[in-house]
Amino acid sequence: MEALRTLFPASDFTLLAAILALPALGALVNGLFGKRLGKEGVRLMALAALGGSFLASVLTYLLLPAEGKLTWTAWRWISIQGRMGQSIPIDVAFSVDALSGTMMLVITGVGFLIHLYSSEYMKNDPGFHRFFAYLNLFCFAMLTLVMGDNLAMLFVGWEGVGLCSYLLIGFWYGEDKNAAAGKKAFIVNRIGDFGLLVAMALIVYYVGTLRFDGIQSGASSLLQNVKIWPIGNMSSGTLPGFLHFLLPEQPVTILAATAVGLMVFLGCAGKSAQIPLYIWLPDAMAGPTPVSALIHAATMVTAGVYLVARLSAVFVLSPAALAVVAVTGALTALLAATIGLFQNDLKKVLAYSTVSQLGYMFIGVGVGAFAAGFFHVFTHAFFKACLFLGAGSVIHAIHVRIHDTDRSQDMGNMGGLKAYMPITRWTYLIACFAIAGLPILGSGFWSKDEILWKAFTVDIMAVSAPGVSQWMWPSWLGRAIYWAGVTGAVFTSFYMFRSYFRTFHGEFRGWKIDPTWKDPGHGHGHDDHGHDDHHEEHGEITGPVPHESPLPMTIPLMVLAAFSIGAGFLVAEPIHVAPLAHKLEPVFALSSRAIRQREGTEGLLFPMMLPGIAAFLAGTVGAMVVYQNRRGEPERRFATMFPRLHRLIYDKWRIDELYDATVVGMVDALADIFTIADKWIVDGILAKFTAALVGFFGTVLRAFQTGRVQVYAAAMVLGLVGVGWFMVKPHADATVNDEALRRSGEVKLSAAPGLGYSYRWDTPGVSETTFAKTTEHTVKLDPGETKDVTLRVRNAWGSESSETFTLTRPAGGRRGATEPGALPAPQPPTLPTGTIPAERIPDLIQPKGLQ
Amino acid sequence: MSPFDLVIKYWLALAAGIVAGILPRGEFPARRRVALGLITALTVLSVQWLWPVEGAAAEATADEWPHLLNVLIGMPILGAVGVLFIPRQMLSLVRGFTLVVLGVGFVVSLALLTVPMTPGWHFQFIKDWIPSLGIRWHVAVDGISLWLILLTTFIGPIAAYASFGSIKTQVKELCFCLLLLQGAMLGAFVALDLFLFFVFWELMLVPMYVMIGIWGGAEKIKAALKLFIYTMTGSMLMLAAMVYLAWTHQRLTGVWSFDYLALSQVVLSRPAQMMCFWAFSIAFFIKVPMWPVHTWLPDAHVQAPTGGSIILAAVMLKIGTYAYLRFSMGLFPGPASSLAANLAGVAILGGIIYGALVAWKQADVKRLVAYSSVAHLGFVMLGLFGVTPTGIQGAVLQMVNHGISTGALFLLVGVIYDRRHTRLISEFGGIAKVMPIYTALFVLVTFSSIGVPGTNGFVGEFMIIMGTFTSERLGTFAGIHTIGASAGVILAAVYMLSAVQRVFFGPLTHPKNKGLSDISPREMVAIAPLVLMIFVLGMFPSIFLDRMKDSVAMAYDQFKTVSGQAILFADEQQAKLLPADTFSPAFLKGAPGVKEEGEPEAPPEAGDEGVQGAAPTRRDGVLADRGGDR
Repeated sequence: MEALRTLFPASDFTLLAAILALPALGALVNGLFGKRLGKEGVRLMALAALGGSFLASVLTYLLLPAEGKLTWTAWRWISIQGRMGQSIPIDVAFSVDALSGTMMLVITGVGFLIHLYSSEYMKNDPGFHRFFAYLNLFCFAMLTLVMGDNLAMLFVGWEGVGLCSYLLIGFWYGEDKNAAAGKKAFIVNRIGDFGLLVAMALIVYYVGTLRFDGIQSGASSLLQNVKIWPIGNMSSGTLPGFLHFLLPEQPVTILAATAVGLMVFLGCAGKSAQIPLYIWLPDAMAGPTPVSALIHAATMVTAGVYLVARLSAVFVLSPAALAVVAVTGALTALLAATIGLFQNDLKKVLAYSTVSQLGYMFIGVGVGAFAAGFFHVFTHAFFKACLFLGAGSVIHAIHVRIHDTDRSQDMGNMGGLKAYMPITRWTYLIACFAIAGLPILGSGFWSKDEILWKAFTVDIMAVSAPGVSQWMWPSWLGRAIYWAGVTGAVFTSFYMFRSYFRTFHGEFRGWKIDPTWKDPGHGHGHDDHGHDDHHEEHGEITGPVPHESPLPMTIPLMVLAAFSIGAGFLVAEPIHVAPLAHKLEPVFALSSRAIRQREGTEGLLFPMMLPGIAAFLAGTVGAMVVYQNRRGEPERRFATMFPRLHRLIYDKWRIDELYDATVVGMVDALADIFTIADKWIVDGILAKFTAALVGFFGTVLRAFQTGRVQVYAAAMVLGLVGVGWFMVKPHADATVNDEALRRSGEVKLSAAPGLGYSYRWDTPGVSETTFAKTTEHTVKLDPGETKDVTLRVRNAWGSESSETFTLTRPAGGRRGATEPGALPAPQPPTLPTGTIPAERIPDLIQPKGLQ
Repeated sequence: MSPFDLVIKYWLALAAGIVAGILPRGEFPARRRVALGLITALTVLSVQWLWPVEGAAAEATADEWPHLLNVLIGMPILGAVGVLFIPRQMLSLVRGFTLVVLGVGFVVSLALLTVPMTPGWHFQFIKDWIPSLGIRWHVAVDGISLWLILLTTFIGPIAAYASFGSIKTQVKELCFCLLLLQGAMLGAFVALDLFLFFVFWELMLVPMYVMIGIWGGAEKIKAALKLFIYTMTGSMLMLAAMVYLAWTHQRLTGVWSFDYLALSQVVLSRPAQMMCFWAFSIAFFIKVPMWPVHTWLPDAHVQAPTGGSIILAAVMLKIGTYAYLRFSMGLFPGPASSLAANLAGVAILGGIIYGALVAWKQADVKRLVAYSSVAHLGFVMLGLFGVTPTGIQGAVLQMVNHGISTGALFLLVGVIYDRRHTRLISEFGGIAKVMPIYTALFVLVTFSSIGVPGTNGFVGEFMIIMGTFTSERLGTFAGIHTIGASAGVILAAVYMLSAVQRVFFGPLTHPKNKGLSDISPREMVAIAPLVLMIFVLGMFPSIFLDRMKDSVAMAYDQFKTVSGQAILFADEQQAKLLPADTFSPAFLKGAPGVKEEGEPEAPPEAGDEGVQGAAPTRRDGVLADRGGDR
């Protein structure tokens, strides 16, 4: 151990390179050379990569110091500049503490089991090598996510897992449905990534670093107000009057910590399938089942919880952000649980259960119980992976005869499998107990009740800062979340046991079992997803005895089932058996200071477990009565009594349709409008219209170029008439020379000359009577005086025209007369030498219009 | 050094080369295998070579061969002339010659990397051209144009190679156009004399016009004309502003000059500043293209042959963004600063969001990629408008990124067009089954285009977004701009993935698609360097950023001081000259000697000849041709 510690010093822990490089290598080799390696080669490569990575992770975990981290910096990635011009390096750097170390163990450990399982499950798929390349790539990206030393590296992994998820959901790309599900997952995740990007920008701006250490220590600089409304330069000056209602009395501000928290949580909601972005996860079940187990249950979807826990230092600064996290978690837990009640697709049930369990995790981190939330990530990884792999095992068995993906997952085609698939049945049952929270034995009991207990007792202290007012949690909120969680727990155990009883108990409904049945000839394997299936006869079909899955599939099931029980004792706080909790304590030591236990709840720890246990019993016994004893009769009765409600829940509350009609529809319409506008307005005005204009002038001018003498002669005559008319009409105009205006009050006016013009100047008081040839005229003004001077012009034909000039001499100071309050100090009565500012002269002398 | 040592030292490159060589399965000509291996090995080698070494930057000011840029520009142009003397029947000679000239150009341009990119100009070469007007052949590079030159020389051979695969008629003319275009584009990136820049700017329009007009699609003439007229409109505005600027300079100093460095010191009167800024910028915005003057781009792309599209998207559009950074921001920092928030708003709404939404609705793959260019270049322009070191670095990097990703996309679209002679999305569907390698490449390039981290697209976008939020110029708008730009990241995924899904996934229904052959060895060799660069840029961006950061910092500092000075200095009526100490000496190196008078006393009225007390010193061959400057 000591030798290893010297070999890998904590600040240059190169073992991390091996943990990352192995899956990357596996992905590369399988992706590039997979076809040539053959299936055995691919399997060996993939398993060796993950296995090696797992061993290295275990070693790393053992070497973890009690305080601090193990870090390894690969290279300088980019360097950006902060608000103050300081350089913010962003390195390709990785670090491990207890939190990420535990995640690494889960990723590589569960990942290895699922790789093993897949090597059998996907055996007959022609895309075998592609599958393992993606799976290895996913593990690499997920490890990057949890090991990243800064938010940018986390983001690399964050998008990387999204990418792998996209590729794996759409793995059987031959069907449009799968490809569309992959796309949907990616785009919804991107909406979350948008939040994370903005959060990164905010953190760079306010904290000036993206390293997690730096964020933790500099989080207090997030205690500033951020103006969120009005945006930009909106003010009464820039907005038209009818929009003034948009302007609030006071700018709306929120705390920077709240802004960062909410934006981060948007990212988490995308990745971890929370309201409003949970809609992609149920669709993601289009991927192969091991993928659902690994990515959409055990690891990737918990990344959001990990991130909130990782940024706990930011979240504790903002009770509002925590409240949003917790309430969203509670709502998601409830909503998804209700949808899970009536689904018939086994994988869909598990998918909604995942969404619901993720909600519990967010309740945990949202009430400031970061460790408790994270424990649920940990236990959930085992039992949910076990459930999914069990479901996969069942589907694998059904698939022998029913090749259609949807129908092979329909619980209507299962039932009674406990006789044929004992290992699958027992492991599934154990995992069901774990998720439903069987007291003491089920690991879900420990983690979920810890979360609910923390929710019940939470009291969040607001960190105060000068000039900042914090929103506080109302005292009932924690208790409301607690009861919502308990209600969700009833649903959880009900739908889980519903799926268990419908799958493993009762009669087998898939086909008529004929022990002598042989697959008629063509080696039909799993490779025909997407092909039209030619033996889907309607009505009764016969098939072989359903078989238990082979060893590579059942071993992972058994290991995971064991952990579903055992993991609980790593986190069992109430009975003080919680080694993992002690390991994690230093990580959240700082953040937990703002979280207190509500007064008067000290002795309630064990009493408050009772509602949880009651929920477990109610759900389990209810499901047993409905589906074991009465064969689902009450559910059918419910469906006939409230057909619309049943339908609505079955259709997932039609949230997808709601989104399609609102957000998606709006963006779609906007895109249509823009496309049309682009073609007909932008291009229309700039290209088509100008072209038409030029064409029009060309046509018009061409009309004159007829080549006929008469036309030209007529044009000449017209021109002459025009010139003649101009000569006959007099034009009164004068230039004003006011250089001496300030000094002596004299303004010189000189009239513009013209053919045979004579002039007369009319000034108030002095009025000439005759027209004279003199063009010059001088007017004298007293300070503050305004005079109108009219110039009359007569030409040789006796027509007259006039023009009036208004002349003003300012009184004393520049602005003294007009704006008395503008200048506090009195101006001297006269200004030295002609210093009237140039721009004011046009204001003083204005022509008063032509006659 | 023994061969064994070489192997030890360069084992990584060697291994990469071997892996790439054995990568393709099935019958694959050995020649192409070697080419693939070489490309990969050389990429790895160059990454090793350029790997930033701490502290080694300042030492060894290597000799700069002053003629390097002349060679870079001259070689393709002389090559174009040379092509004319090759008989048109000797097809392979014409093609080979073109490729050799372009390839050698790339190798020669690598010499630019041997010099540490300290602030200021490198490989500067100045020679009088039209002395009576102070027009000089003034070329130089800094850390900003460096990467655009390398992008040009890098894309050039690839585009030519790709063209030769699909264009079989009038090859000689094609080669002539390609070479001339290459020379003109390189010239535009290195010219520091406005007149010279204008010459290259116009010169590159001609071959592109011809390329679209001859080898284009059904409506090629219309598209070529549209491209030409749009660009020309901008050019004329720019020319007018350029002449006005030079004339003002002459009035202030008595010397004619079109030199960028000299004209940077001129502060025009406020209205004139604004007018000239718009005249220059409209020309550049058309080229970029920015909303609303972008509609020539989709037409040009749809009609252009593959090679033309690659060059157009990868390089020509960058001349617009580069020129905005260099000339609009350099000559008119005042308006560039005061209009920043509004222009950034246009870049986001009109470019990033509008471009993305319109791209989503396109039925033609090439149109879609063209509109995605509008969106991507919106990001680039946003980085420039924000004027932060981070944003500008990100913008320059994003220019290179866009060149590589979009170049690769057009190349790949060309592959499928050669097979099916259609690019309509609805004609395809499910072709991943018959073209798996092609699909893998396309999806990879797609992810680079939508900016998934690890590929090149992310780094640029990330830096631009970070730069936007910390930008002072955008002021109160910085927040809303950041949100808008980040939202573009969502839309990028929407339009690209929708197209990918409809083209590649789903059932293979169209009978014509069932017999499509996968990517050919030749196409593979053409796309390989682009794919490798996607990862090199994505994972090791500091190779690129380190070499540009000093130049960017200098440009940023200069923008900051000069825009402040310009706002203080400018009045309504008169142009003025900034004192030379406003600029860093590194920037003014090589400027024509007009800066000797101490106080920039406001000169008298327009047209007055009496300014010539400002005795210009005669340096670098500038003829102070006073009195008779007409």
